Parts: sequence; C-alpha cells; structure tokens
Amino acid sequence: MNAIPCLTIEDVASLDGILAEFLKKAEAELTVVIDRGGNVISQYGDMTVMDVTIIAALAAGSFAATKELARRIGEVEFNALYHQGNGSHIFMNSVDDDTIMITVFGRRTTVGLVRFYSTSTAQSVGTLLQSLSREGHGFSFDASDVSATPIFADA
Amino acid sequence: MSIINYASREIQFKIVYYGPALCGKTTNLGYIHQRISPQNRGDLVSLATAADRTLFFDFLPLNAVVIKGFVTKFQLYTVPGQVIYNATRQLVLRSVDGVVFVADSQWEKMEENVESFKNLEDNLAKQNISLDEIPYVIQYNKRDLENVAPVNYLEYVLNNRKRRVQSFEVVSSTGQNVFASLNAVSQILLHKFSKQSDAPKTPPAPVAIPLDAAIPQTQGAAR
Repeated sequence: MNAIPCLTIEDVASLDGILAEFLKKAEAELTVVIDRGGNVISQYGDMTVMDVTIIAALAAGSFAATKELARRIGEVEFNALYHQGNGSHIFMNSVDDDTIMITVFGRRTTVGLVRFYSTSTAQSVGTLLQSLSREGHGFSFDASDVSATPIFADA
Repeated sequence: MSIINYASREIQFKIVYYGPALCGKTTNLGYIHQRISPQNRGDLVSLATAADRTLFFDFLPLNAVVIKGFVTKFQLYTVPGQVIYNATRQLVLRSVDGVVFVADSQWEKMEENVESFKNLEDNLAKQNISLDEIPYVIQYNKRDLENVAPVNYLEYVLNNRKRRVQSFEVVSSTGQNVFASLNAVSQILLHKFSKQSDAPKTPPAPVAIPLDAAIPQTQGAAR
C-alpha cells in the first residue's frame, strides 16, 4: 500500500494562518504554495480571477527552466523570480528543495514589500512542511471507494 | 506525488504523456480537451514553437469525483519529443504519478520508439523511480496509416518486460482509444494508492486493446 502525504485540517489552518498574515502585510492578492512538480499544496487569497492549477504548473516550469540559467553564472538556482506586468505581477521564491511559493500582486503594493515579507514567510512555511513530513501523515483509501465506472468519458 | 489537502478534500495526480517526436502526444491532449465537458477541465496550455512543436510542455487539468468524498484532479502533461530537449523532459517528469507512453506505429519510427522508451526509463531512474513500479500504459498510435507495424511486433519491441502493461491501438487524431488509455492509467494509479493494492492484480490483456473494442464510456463521472 502506498500512502499519499496528507495535510490535515489543522495543518491547513496553520498554513493558511501564515499565508493570510503574509498577504495582509505585503498587501498582495494571492499566494500559492506548490511543489516543484507543479502540484498545489495550499493557496490563500482571491482565487476567482485565475486558474491556480495552471499558474502552479507554469510557475514550476518557469522556476525549473531558469535553474539552468542560474548554473551558467555559477549559482545553484535563483532563489527568487519576478515577472513584471503592467498592472499585475508575479513573485516566486524558493521555500526548500521541494517547494516554491508564488505571490500575485497588483498596484496596491510594491515588489520590495512582497520580497521582504516573502522571505520570512517562506521560512515559516518550510519549517511547517518539514514538521509534517517528520510526523508522517499519510492518507489512503479503500479500493471499494474508487469508482468502477470509466473516469473520463468521450462526450 | 502531491500532498492531499484534507481541508479542501482534493487529491492531485500527475500523468505524463511520453514518446518520440511527432508521435501524437499533443494530439491526445487536444482530443481530450475538445471532448470533455468544460466544467470538468481547465484550459489546455501549450508551450509550443511557432510551428506547433512542443517546446516545454502541454498541460491540461481535469477534475473528477472518483474517490468517495474527494475531488480528484488529474494533471495531464506532455513532454517535448525531440531528442535535444531531454533536460526539459526530466523537469516535466518531476513528481510524476503515471505515464502514458505514446508509440508511433509506423515502421520507420521503430528506432525512435525504442530510444524514447529507454530515455523514459533512464529519466525515471534519475528520480529513483522504476518502470516496474510506476503505473503506465502504452499506446500504439496512428493505426489508421498504411505502413504500420503489426501489433504483436510492437508488443515484442515495447511491452516485453517482466511486467507487461495494458496497451492500446490508438488513432489519436480521431480519438479512438484515447479515453480508454487515459481511463486505464487513471484506474491503475488510483488502485496503487488504495488499501487493497497488495492484492493480486488481474494480468494485462495478452494483446493490445484493438480499435474496435474500446471500453464503453457512457457512465463516466466526467462527461
């Protein structure tokens, strides 16, 4: 049996608390914690304006692609990436070897403020995720819980 | 492999379509995107060149309710098939949960199929994943063309490991067996994580699922 790593409701509440405080201080719109494979671990903020799943996949790709660029100038990777738009911007920073934090922000704040608060937030998130992996939460389900009918159908 | 978010009751799985250049990986995703109800899928994102060749990856998120009480999100990716993009393929394979290997059935593509399959095995090994452990199925694509190798030959070349896997005759441009192969890998994936996964498994079919024997798909959760 293979258990899937699991965030309990209490874990999510702790993580949300950290992310909520960050958004308030940095005055950003949305923050998403993802693994480097592009999977969403947690998210907080205004999620109505964009598809977070797609943002996560593209951000993981962007972070991974620039790693090689960093190597060319003697770095292991870039710890943070900033994509500047006209009104909306994205700031991404590394949490640990497996995790990235993405922040979407607009005109209400500045990249400096987001960068400043994201550093300590990333440390807090990293510490929390490390403690979860030590506690070894895992989730699995019964085979009878899985639908026997084809999952996807050709309409 | 992702983390389950118990508060939002979501599980995410990552399925990667792998195979040689121009074998039909993007066409698979395009067909799925076209045929699944918009409420059960997101946008199809393609990072491609001006000539529509995949540069980084294609990405299609799908939602389904297949485990009681949980929304299951399947994230479908393709890799760039061209040999020079191996570093990109390694990046896309990160945290992969299941693979659909898309082989081009044409005789002249056989060497590329074998190279790509070996490349998949090598790239998984770099993540400490073995092909013997990861859920995967094989598609023999482009069965509508004239110069295709017979299925038993393809089986001998690509599905001759100790653990034989489910394989499908596919025409991705018309969608034949595209959903059958997606459903197959999804079910294998789900059962891998279920509590009875140590139970003996049904051995795979001795030959590839032919085009005219596609699994009925009238009762799916996502239409």
